Amino acid sequence: MDPLSPPPSRLAIAVAALLGIFVAGYLTIYNLGYLGFVQCSTGGCETVQSSQYAMILGTPVALVGLVGYVLLFALAIIGVQPRWVAERWIAIAIALLSGVGTAFSAYLTYLEAAVIHAWCQWCVVSAILMTLIFVLSLVGLRSSIAMERQITTSSEG
Amino acid sequence: MARPPSKSKGSSLNTFYGILGVIAVIGAGAILYQMYGQGSAAMQPVDVPIDQAQLAATEGISIGEEDAPVVIFEFADFQCPACGTYATFVTPLIKERMVEPGLVRYVFYDFPLEMHPNSFIAARAGRCANDQDMFWAYHDILFAQQSSWSLERDPIGMFVDMADEVGLDAGQFESCLRSDMFAEEVTRSLRLGESLGVRGTPTLFVNGRRLPSPPTFNELEVIVQNAAGLSQAPADTAAAPADTAAAS
Repeated sequence: MDPLSPPPSRLAIAVAALLGIFVAGYLTIYNLGYLGFVQCSTGGCETVQSSQYAMILGTPVALVGLVGYVLLFALAIIGVQPRWVAERWIAIAIALLSGVGTAFSAYLTYLEAAVIHAWCQWCVVSAILMTLIFVLSLVGLRSSIAMERQITTSSEG
Repeated sequence: MARPPSKSKGSSLNTFYGILGVIAVIGAGAILYQMYGQGSAAMQPVDVPIDQAQLAATEGISIGEEDAPVVIFEFADFQCPACGTYATFVTPLIKERMVEPGLVRYVFYDFPLEMHPNSFIAARAGRCANDQDMFWAYHDILFAQQSSWSLERDPIGMFVDMADEVGLDAGQFESCLRSDMFAEEVTRSLRLGESLGVRGTPTLFVNGRRLPSPPTFNELEVIVQNAAGLSQAPADTAAAPADTAAAS
């Protein structure tokens, strides 16, 4: 493999983060009142979105998620550029950010199951996307270490 | 020596950007379709058991003919942005095309959501305005200026200014608002909504049947026409509430 080719995991992270932007963006737009209702096949979206847990420090949780996905998307896009593809800090930043996001999503999923007793399909989709990004970021971390070794070897050779 | 850019790498990145572009167009299109198009959910009303005694004990604020064939209940929160949109774009049409011709009696119930810190006092402010027979004018200005008072730590001053603006006796209004007047009525209204399965706002009931999500005016028109054509006696479900006729 060309040592400067972006790892497939990073391309997949960008795609998943973009999907996350639309999911979190949809809920944010609803929370800000630009949508009269939220499409919901599970039937519990309004219950979840109108609960006290839909806000954190006066900010809609969906907006926090949106900011997280935008940052992940930006990092992934920067990380596929040939100039930055070998930078290990990008892989570390994605792993840390998505790790926090996954832990937070797990807490929100617990709240839906055990406290609110209602499921919001978009929140579940977001939790799945964030977990997927976290798993891919771990794969990306391994790739970045391998890439660094490959570059070191080829420059020594 | 600098490595020449690989052709295949460039084309695979182009494919990648193409995929992102397709996702972006589909995602943005779906959201815009729901915001501005007809992407609304199916509007099948749901039968809800209504406790007549609780309904009779809960004071709604009504407009329209007492014997109108269709009765609509709205459970709303003055701090809820979706209610603001509804009050701005749909409620005026309901008043003009359904209430004024005598087809509908419209009853407003407070449903202040816990997540909105100013919604309970806003509901009380609405009731204080109703005390001076000016509920609907105050309802309109509260929603119209929602963004200005929603995040205020102490919105009472702004509420009094708005009362003055619509022509209420500001002194009487302020003393009402600074007391605990109508706290019980608002709470009873909230409890009624909870017992009827209201989870979000605005929630509408047409002749006692709950609509699963707020309809567009066109959808509501169809539902109301169907309800008016049914042989159901609206008085069974709607004559009982202790609603007060407010000046519009």
